[in-house]
Amino acid sequence: MEVSATYLLQLFMNGLMLGLIYALIAVGLALIFGVLEVINFAHGELLMLGGYAMALTLPLVGLSYWPSLLVAVIATSLVGVVLYEGFLRHIGQKEFERSILTTLGISMILLYGMQYLFTATPMMVDTAYGFDGVEIGSIRITLTRLIAGALSVAAFTGLYCLLKFTQFGRAMRAIAQNREAALMVGIKPRHVARNAVALAAALCGLAGAALVPIQLLHPAMGQAMIFKAFALVVIGGLGNMTGAIVVAIALGMIESWIGGFFSIVWQEGAIFVIMIVAVLLRPDGLFKRGSMRVG
Amino acid sequence: MTEPRWTPYAVLVAIALLAALPSMTSSNYVVGIAISGLIFLAAAASLNLVYGYAGQLSFAQLGFWGVGGYCAAIAVVDLGQSFWFGIAFAGVVNLLLSAVIGIVITRTTRHAFVVVTLTFALLAGLIARDWVGVTRGPLGIPGLPPPSLMGFVFDTSARFYYIALAFSLIALAFLYVLKTSRIGLILKAVKQNDPLVESQGIAPGPYKLAAFVIASVITGMAGGIYAFNLKVIDPSFLDFYYMQTFLIIVIIGGAGSFWAVVLAGAAMVVLPEALRFSNELRMVIYGVVLVAVMMFMPRGVSGWLEDRRIAALRKALR
Repeated sequence: MEVSATYLLQLFMNGLMLGLIYALIAVGLALIFGVLEVINFAHGELLMLGGYAMALTLPLVGLSYWPSLLVAVIATSLVGVVLYEGFLRHIGQKEFERSILTTLGISMILLYGMQYLFTATPMMVDTAYGFDGVEIGSIRITLTRLIAGALSVAAFTGLYCLLKFTQFGRAMRAIAQNREAALMVGIKPRHVARNAVALAAALCGLAGAALVPIQLLHPAMGQAMIFKAFALVVIGGLGNMTGAIVVAIALGMIESWIGGFFSIVWQEGAIFVIMIVAVLLRPDGLFKRGSMRVG
Repeated sequence: MTEPRWTPYAVLVAIALLAALPSMTSSNYVVGIAISGLIFLAAAASLNLVYGYAGQLSFAQLGFWGVGGYCAAIAVVDLGQSFWFGIAFAGVVNLLLSAVIGIVITRTTRHAFVVVTLTFALLAGLIARDWVGVTRGPLGIPGLPPPSLMGFVFDTSARFYYIALAFSLIALAFLYVLKTSRIGLILKAVKQNDPLVESQGIAPGPYKLAAFVIASVITGMAGGIYAFNLKVIDPSFLDFYYMQTFLIIVIIGGAGSFWAVVLAGAAMVVLPEALRFSNELRMVIYGVVLVAVMMFMPRGVSGWLEDRRIAALRKALR
């Protein structure tokens, strides 16, 4: 097979888009872990709900992209609030396994509930943009993909500013760094945790909504993505958002390149092999959380 | 929880009833459910060893279950060995695999432990689907022959039932002995207070690893037998559904209590079949049960009962 520069560039762009979507999911997981020390097993289902919210709103607003996206993001962030207020709030700091099993149960209810309502058959979703594309040099990218990528970048920029410059974000970082000290200066962990879950859910909903026009929509779509996101978060160092983003984008690239040159087995398996090796070499993840040091 | 004094009699009666089950009913459907129940129970009880006693929430059991199923099937179909060899083969492969994985992951934090074991289970599923040369991909390996022993062929459900029963009883008896042994006590102590155990001069690492490996071997062999019960194995054998079933049995019974998990296993297998829900609805109900148990009685039914008992004692003393 002759490998042309165009083909390589195409692989690169596809990988970047994929990586950005992974990063949107992983950063939310890392955020929830940082603030609550909970691994949210229902995160993939939030993605799926975002996708369904998008798909169900689209016909109502004449297939226009942006209003549907907004609805999806708001809907999933509300689900996030319910998830926190209804369940995660009651789980103590030391009850890690309990949090996993609770969110696993919620994930089962959402996944199989949606499968019951909408059947497991995948759906194609069309937006007003259809399959319009943009030519960049010699490669062509569909507009929906380009928007998905741009949205992710915008979301990360927004998230960065939020965490860095607002009281809302500072409180979140404070809790993640040192819970007791944050309590002492009068930060309310409950409010912060609720905000963190809602924010993470919104990011996930955004990812789901942006994915819908690109790939098939089905109830198990979240599950396929979320397990990779777990691996990403572990490789990046649990609770480390920068680590999660970097690893996610790297993974998108790796998957895309492997997919371009090797068989599909390696594409899917790569992440897991990388994770096992990463955990073997650095049990705390590649980007260890420096903030946990005391004294 | 302390065992009631009549436990041995109850066990004897239960074994007698189970042994007589195929002669009491002519329905293959009932016997089929009983076979699944017995095999799931062995797998759930071994998950209880890892999670309930050693305190490690392992999702890798699903992977070992699948590896066991495939190893047994391949040993019989491709290598031309007997069913019994296949099951033993499944056990040995899982022994080696879990030892290698266990050495790596018992070093990590409990957060990472969950994710790594989960990933292993999913990786096993992907390999089953994509490594077409060995597993035959999505089509799977159909037509697994019924096992036979010295000319006697276990070709009907009622006959196969006795294989499942024997395996399940042996596995449960082994786990029970282990639980009451020194190893079981140390595992329990490790779960309750790891630093204290270390301060007593006991290294928890090897015990955690041992629990992980033993559970994997039993789960793998259970998977092998289950594959022959289905008479076909394909990637859906590694569906997350099985893991959820094992987990729910352990959680509802109460992680760390032997008999409660056994009873919960029986209940969770029989109930949904008796109520005849569609598969999706059943999983929704499992999810609701899981969330409800976690919210209201996080230590399972046995933990809840024990809390009630202690509360009653306190009240009486006051």
